[in-house]
Amino acid sequence: MRTRLAADVYSVFWREMKRFWLQKPRIVVSVIQPAIWLGLMGNLMGGLLDKPMAAAVLGTGNYLSFMTAGVMVMTTLFGGVFGGVSIIWDRRLGLLNKMLAAPIARAAIPVGKALAVAVQTSIQVALIALVARLLGVAFVTGPAGVLMAIGIAALFSVIMSSLSLILAARLKSHEALFAVVNFLTMPLMFTSNAMFPTQTMPGWLRSIAAYNPVSYAVRPMRQLVTGGWDWTVLGQDAAVVAAMAALMVILAVLQYRKMVA
Amino acid sequence: MTMKAIEVRGLTKTYPGGIRAVDQVSFWVGEGEIFGFLGPNGAGKSTTILMLTTLATPTAGSATVMGYDVTTNTDAVRRSLGYVSQDLAVDDSLTGWENLYLQARFYGLTRDEMRRRIPEVLDMVGLTSRARDLVETYSGGMRKRLDIAAGLIHRPKVLFLDEPTLGLDIQTRREIWDYITRLREESGMTIFLTTHYMEEADRLCDRIAIIDRGSIKAVGTPSELKSTLGGDVIVLRFGGTDAGVAEALARIRALPGVRDVARYGDDYRVAVQDGESTLPQFFAATQDGAAPIVRVSINRVTLDDVYLSFTGRALRDEESSREDALQQRIRMRRVRG
Repeated sequence: MRTRLAADVYSVFWREMKRFWLQKPRIVVSVIQPAIWLGLMGNLMGGLLDKPMAAAVLGTGNYLSFMTAGVMVMTTLFGGVFGGVSIIWDRRLGLLNKMLAAPIARAAIPVGKALAVAVQTSIQVALIALVARLLGVAFVTGPAGVLMAIGIAALFSVIMSSLSLILAARLKSHEALFAVVNFLTMPLMFTSNAMFPTQTMPGWLRSIAAYNPVSYAVRPMRQLVTGGWDWTVLGQDAAVVAAMAALMVILAVLQYRKMVA
Repeated sequence: MTMKAIEVRGLTKTYPGGIRAVDQVSFWVGEGEIFGFLGPNGAGKSTTILMLTTLATPTAGSATVMGYDVTTNTDAVRRSLGYVSQDLAVDDSLTGWENLYLQARFYGLTRDEMRRRIPEVLDMVGLTSRARDLVETYSGGMRKRLDIAAGLIHRPKVLFLDEPTLGLDIQTRREIWDYITRLREESGMTIFLTTHYMEEADRLCDRIAIIDRGSIKAVGTPSELKSTLGGDVIVLRFGGTDAGVAEALARIRALPGVRDVARYGDDYRVAVQDGESTLPQFFAATQDGAAPIVRVSINRVTLDDVYLSFTGRALRDEESSREDALQQRIRMRRVRG
C-alpha cells in the first residue's frame, strides 16, 4: 500500500511537471519579475542606507541583500497560493473524475500537486539566487546556505499550496478561489517582515508580523543571506515552517480523502 | 443464466437541498451485454453513472459491479471498470502516448504491460501515427478516441460510456459505433452506455432502460419496447379549432387498437397495433367533427416513439448551475476541436 501511494504521488507529480515545462513564458516571467522587484526596490530604498541607523536595523549595509529573502518568499507565496488552480481545471475538464474513478490513493492528488509546486518553487528560488548574485548579493553562508534557503522556500510553498488545494476542493470555481487567495496574500505579505524591517513597524503590526507564517520563512532565509550559520534562529524557524507544512499536508489529505467527486 | 455485471437495487441519491436525482432505481446488466441508459437531461442518468463508478455515494439502496459493492469495495469496483465520461477527459498539454502512460500508471500496469497495451489501444482507435503529438493539436473526434483508448488500457470488465458521441459529426459517430461493436465482439466486454440519441441506442444496445425524473420507466430489448406501443405510428395533422382537435383526439383514443397519442409540433403521433386496418376508422370517427384530418402518414414504431411515450412530450426547462453550464460549453468547444 505504501509503494502504491508513492507510485500514485509520482504519477500526479509527473503530469504537473510535464505541464510546467510547457509553460516557458511562465518560467521566464518568474525570473524577470523578482529581478525587477530587486532592481526597483534596491534603487528606491538605496537612499535609506546613508543613515547609519538604517543599516543597523536592516542588519546589512545593502538593501538588496535584505530584500533577497523577501522576494524569494514572495515568489514562493504567489506560486503556492495558485497551486489549487489546477484542481479546478481538472474538475472542469473531467480529469479529476477520471483520476477518482481509477484505483489511486486519494491522498496522491494533493500530495503530488503540492510536491510539483515545491519543485517548481525550488527552481524559481534558485534562479532568484542567481539573479541576486548578478546584482551583487552574495549569501554569506555560501552555496550550502543557498541550498538551505531553497529547502525552506520549498517547505513554505507546501503550506501555501496545500491551503490552496483545500480551498479549491471546496470552492469549485476560479473566481471564488482567486477572490479568497487575493484576500489572503497581500495582507500576509505586508504584515510580515518580507519587505520592511519589523523594527520600524508600530507595535500592533510588529506582533502580527512576529507570528505571521511568512515571517517564519523569511527570517531564517534572511539569516542565511546576511547573517550566518546561527542555528538558534535557523533551527527554530525552519522547524516551525516544517511543522506547519506537515499540518497543512495532513489537512489537505483529509479533505481529499473525503472528497468523492 | 449469465452472471450479472451490474446489479442495482433501490438505488437512491438525494442531494443536499432535498433534490432527489435518483429515486429507488433497480435494474441489472448481464455480462457481455451492451446496455443503454436513456433519458432526458437531468433525468438521473449521470448521477446513476457517478454512483456506479464510485464517484458519488448513494443515499440509499445498493449497487454492485462484477459482484463488488460500490460503497464498501471501491477499490475492486474501480479496477473492474473503465470510465469514459462525456467530458473528453484527456490532457491537452500531454501527447496521446503520455495520456495513456499516465492512465496505465493510475491502474498500476507494469512496465511490460504498458509496452504491450499502449500500442494496442492506440492501434485500436487508429491513433498510432499521432501518438507523439500534443493532444491540443487533435480534433474533437481524435480526443474522444483517445479518451476511449484510455478507458480500455487496463482491460476493464465493464466499460461505462457516458454520451460517447455527444457533439460528434456523423462520420465520427459511426466510427465510434464500430469501435463499440468490435469491442464487444472481440473482448466480450460489458458496456453500459448513456445516450439521448435513439438511433444509437437502437443500433447498439441489447437492452435499454428508460429513466425519467429519477426513476426507471421501462426496461427491455429495443424490439420489446417498441412492441409495447404496437406495430405502427400514424402521424396526423388536423385542420380546425383547438377544441375540435381535442374532440377528434378523444374519439381516436376511444378506438380499439390505439395505444398512445403523442404531440409532436403540429403533428400527433398515434401508436396503434396495425396501421393499415386502423386508419380508415380514424376517418370514420372524425369526419363529422370540427377538426378534419388534413394530412396523414403511416410509419413503423421507432424508439423515438417509445421514448416520447415514457418521458412525456413537454419541452424541458433544464435546471443547471453556472458551473455546469460553463463545463458544458468547454466540453462542446473541445469536442469540436
